Amino acid sequence: MRVYRYDQIDQTLVNERVAQFRDQTRRFLAGELSEDEFRPLRLRNGLYIQRYAPMLRVSIPYGLLSAVQLRMLAHIARSYDRNYGHFTTRQNIQYNWPALERVPDILADLASVEMHAIQTSGNCIRNITSDHLAGVAPDEIADPRPYCEIIRQWAALHPEFSYLPRKFKIAVTASPADRAAVEIHDVGVRLRRGSNGEIGFEILAGGGLGRTPILGKVIRRFLPQADLLAYLTAILRVYNRYGRRDNIHKARIKILLRALGAEEFTRQVEQEFEAGRQSAPKLAAQEVERMNAFFAPPAYQTISDSTPVIGSVSSGNPGYDAWLRYNTRRHKVPGYRVVFVSLKKHGEAPGDMSGEQMDALAALADRVSFGMVRVTHDQNLVLADVPQSTLLDVWRELDALGLATPNIGTLTDMICCPGLDFCSLANAGSIDVAKQIHARFDDLDYLYDLGPVEIKMSGCMNACGHHHIGHIGILGVDKHGKEWYQITIGGSSTGPAALGEVIGPSVPKDQVADTIARLLEVYVRERHGDHERFVDAVRRIGIEPFQERVYETHHSPA
Amino acid sequence: MRHIIHRRELVADDVRYAGEASGPGTRAAQPAAQFIAALSAGQASAAAAAVLIGPADEVEALAPHLALLSLIVVEFPKIGEGRGYSQARLLRQRYGYAGELRARGALKRDQLFFLARCGFNSFDLDPAEDLEAALGSFNDFSVAYQGGSDAVVQVRRRAGSA
Repeated sequence: MRVYRYDQIDQTLVNERVAQFRDQTRRFLAGELSEDEFRPLRLRNGLYIQRYAPMLRVSIPYGLLSAVQLRMLAHIARSYDRNYGHFTTRQNIQYNWPALERVPDILADLASVEMHAIQTSGNCIRNITSDHLAGVAPDEIADPRPYCEIIRQWAALHPEFSYLPRKFKIAVTASPADRAAVEIHDVGVRLRRGSNGEIGFEILAGGGLGRTPILGKVIRRFLPQADLLAYLTAILRVYNRYGRRDNIHKARIKILLRALGAEEFTRQVEQEFEAGRQSAPKLAAQEVERMNAFFAPPAYQTISDSTPVIGSVSSGNPGYDAWLRYNTRRHKVPGYRVVFVSLKKHGEAPGDMSGEQMDALAALADRVSFGMVRVTHDQNLVLADVPQSTLLDVWRELDALGLATPNIGTLTDMICCPGLDFCSLANAGSIDVAKQIHARFDDLDYLYDLGPVEIKMSGCMNACGHHHIGHIGILGVDKHGKEWYQITIGGSSTGPAALGEVIGPSVPKDQVADTIARLLEVYVRERHGDHERFVDAVRRIGIEPFQERVYETHHSPA
Repeated sequence: MRHIIHRRELVADDVRYAGEASGPGTRAAQPAAQFIAALSAGQASAAAAAVLIGPADEVEALAPHLALLSLIVVEFPKIGEGRGYSQARLLRQRYGYAGELRARGALKRDQLFFLARCGFNSFDLDPAEDLEAALGSFNDFSVAYQGGSDAVVQVRRRAGSA
C-alpha cells in the first residue's frame, strides 16, 4: 500500500457526514436555517459562497492522491463544474462553479473514493499538510505521513475542538529542508530522533501569515512519540479556552501566544498536558506501526541509476534537457526519479488543471508511478516514483498535455491565489498579474540564469498566496477602487523561514512586472558569483539598493 | 412553556433564570460567581444547587464545590461559541462532575452530537429549533475517532492504547 485505506469506521464516518450535510443543505434551502446559522455549518465542510457561485474546497490529506481519486476529481470537474479545478497552497483542490444544491451529490461521489471536504474551512482543525516528497526524499529522517494520518483522524470531527476561535492549521515535516513550511502554521511538528534513535517531535506554535505574519516559536524541543496527541490536545485546549473571540483578526493562536509571551504560553500548555495525562489519548507504538504499513514503499524494481547521471550530458533535445534539469529531482531509490508536473504554464491560472489533464495524468501515474500523485504547496503536482528509463516518454506525454513547462523553482513557478476573479475577499486580481509576469519573463534562458526565485502573490491580506514568505511577495491592495500591489522582498519559507520586507509604496497593476524586472536587475548586478540566490543577495545587501532602483524618479509609484 | 432535551427526551424545563418567575417545583439557577461568593461568605448553600457559567468562567473555581451541585448550565451566547465544550470536558473528565450538565443558548441540532460527546446530557436549544427533529441528531454519527463521555458510538480503538 502507498496510501491510507479506509476501514469500516472511516467510511461510515464520511458517509454519515454526507448525509448530515445533505440535510443541512435541505434545511437552508427550505428556510429552516438562516444564512448566519448555515454559514458555520457549510464552511466546516469547505463550502464558501463566492463572488459568482459557491466554491467547494475538497480535502487532499497531506497532498496525497491515488489515480482513482484523481479521476474522481476529473469527473467532478466535468460533471459539476466548468471542467477544471484549482490546486491550493494547502495541497487541496477547489471548484469554483458548483451549484449549492448539488454539493451533497459531489460529497457522495467523493466519499465513494475515500475523500471528503471535512474541515477544509471554518474555525476548526484544517487539512494536515506535509512534505510533498515524503517517503522519497533522501534527506528525511522518517516518513511523516503516518503521523499526518494519525493527526488527521484525531482531528476529524473532534467534539471539543470543532468551534475554535479561528481556523487552525497543522503541518508536519521530517526533513531539515522543511518543504512543509511548518514555521507559518498554528502548530508545526518536526520529526526528530531522540538520543536512542527513537522518533519524537519538536513542536512549534503560533506561526501564521494573514494580516499579522509571525513565525512559530519552538515550545517543546523533544516530545516522545506516545505523547503526540496528548500534547496537541493540551495546545488546542489552551487555545480553545483563552484564544480571543471578540475580534476575528486577533483570534488566531499566534495572537494568544504573543499576548501571553512564548514562555507563559508554553507553561500553560505544559501544565494542561500534565493535568490531562490521565484522560488524554496515548499514541501506542502498535498504532504507529499499523499506520506505517499503509505507507510502506511501493514494489521498487532493483535497477541502477542511469549512466551517465541524469542531466550531466545533453540528450540533443534541449526541451527535454531543460525539463530534466528543472522539473525532476533525485529519488532515494536508485533508478528512480521524482517528476514535477508544472501547473504554471503561460496563459493558465497557476494551479488550475482541466478534467482531461487530470484523467491523462491519472493514466500516466498508473503506468509509471505506482498509481499515485502528490500535490505541492507551490500548486504543482508530483509523480514521485518514476523509473529513469521512462523519463523521455513521460516528458513527451506531459509536454503534449501542457504540463511540462520547465520552470519549477524559477520565477514563473509562481504561487497565486484565485484573487478578485473569484474570491469575494480579494482586493485585487492575481491571475492576470501572473499572466503579465509570464509574458514579461518568457525567456527561459534568462529565468535559468536568475536561478531560484520564488514569487508568491495574494489578492488580499488574508495571504492565501503566502506573499510574506515569497522571495518576492506581491500583495493586492485596494486604493480608491483601483487595484494596486505592495511588493516585499527577502521572505522565505525555509532555511530559515523569514518574512519579507515591504520595499515602499505600492505600484499600479500595469507596473508589477516592470517593478520585478528592476528588482532582478539589481540582483544580477549585485550577486556574488553564479550561485548566490536572489533571496540570499537581499539578506546580504539589504533592501535599499532595490528600493533605489524601483523608486527612481521616472517611475511613478503612488 | 419552555422545553428542553434531557437524557434524550423532551421535558418541560423546571429551571428558572434571573428575571423569571419561580413557582412550585422550579429550581433557580444562579451565576456560579454568586454561588461561590455566598459560600465563602459562610452562607450555607441549598443542597443540590443549580449554577450558571458563562464562556469566560473558569471551571477550576467551581471544582471544589461540585458535590453541592445538581445542575451546571453552560451558556453559549453566540453562534460558534466553543469554550463550553472544553468546560464540559474538564468538569466531566478532570473534576468528575456526575450531575446534570446543560448546554444553553445559540445552539442548533447540528451541535448536539459534539455536545453530548463532551459530556452534556441536557440541552436548552435555540427556541426556533424543532426539538422533536433535533432528537435525531444524537445519531448523526455512529462512529468516532475520539473517546467521549457518551458510550453510544463506536470509537476507533487505537491498537494498544488506553
